[in-house]
Amino acid sequence: MIRSAYFHQVAEAEIPALSAEPLDVVGLLSQAHHPAAGAVVLFSGEVRNHNQGQSVDYLEYEAHEVMAIKMIAEILADARAKWDLKIALAQHRIGKVTVGETAVVVITASAHRGEAYEANQYIIHRIKHEATIWKCEYFSDGAKKWGGNCSCCEPVQ
Amino acid sequence: MKIQVFAVLKEYFDKEFELANDIKDIGELKTRLSCLNQEADGVLNISRFAINNEFVNSDHAIQAHDTICIFPPSSGG
Repeated sequence: MIRSAYFHQVAEAEIPALSAEPLDVVGLLSQAHHPAAGAVVLFSGEVRNHNQGQSVDYLEYEAHEVMAIKMIAEILADARAKWDLKIALAQHRIGKVTVGETAVVVITASAHRGEAYEANQYIIHRIKHEATIWKCEYFSDGAKKWGGNCSCCEPVQ
Repeated sequence: MKIQVFAVLKEYFDKEFELANDIKDIGELKTRLSCLNQEADGVLNISRFAINNEFVNSDHAIQAHDTICIFPPSSGG
């Protein structure tokens, strides 16, 4: 068993905001420790096998990469300005992502859990709704649909 | 000027195409594109436009050699 105290601390700036390869959720978490953080929150957005009554085979993510990378960096910077975060990082898949795979990871760490939870929600909400990234759903019946999104339309404070 | 469209807009236009340089601003471009394909009108009205990796408003003037990116509402995550 690996003990978290032995993990390396994350070099957030070195983690690319977009990845065409499967996201290493465990690897990212293993780096997300900070001596001043008593709380680490990890959100993993995963591809589920259904949406609005239809069976989903896989998703395909397209991005305007330059702007998406810039926007994710800005969102993380905004979160750091709002909360006292020891760690804030996010990584989003592009390309084909199959059921059960992770499409996006957000990790936040702070002294106490309240800030880490709030900041994590804020970051994922803004990434979903603002970053220049789009999903296309491919259904089991052969149909496809762009932009089917989540049910989280209420703005985050 | 060169136009690049993303996601669902590719169902209405080529991913990349050129238009004559007589279009003054983004608002006029939106009108021109709606005329080219009326079915895209709804999506165009809720899309964002960017030049040189910066979002621009409807009154932003277009230069002859600009590449304009058109983004439908985001749907990451």
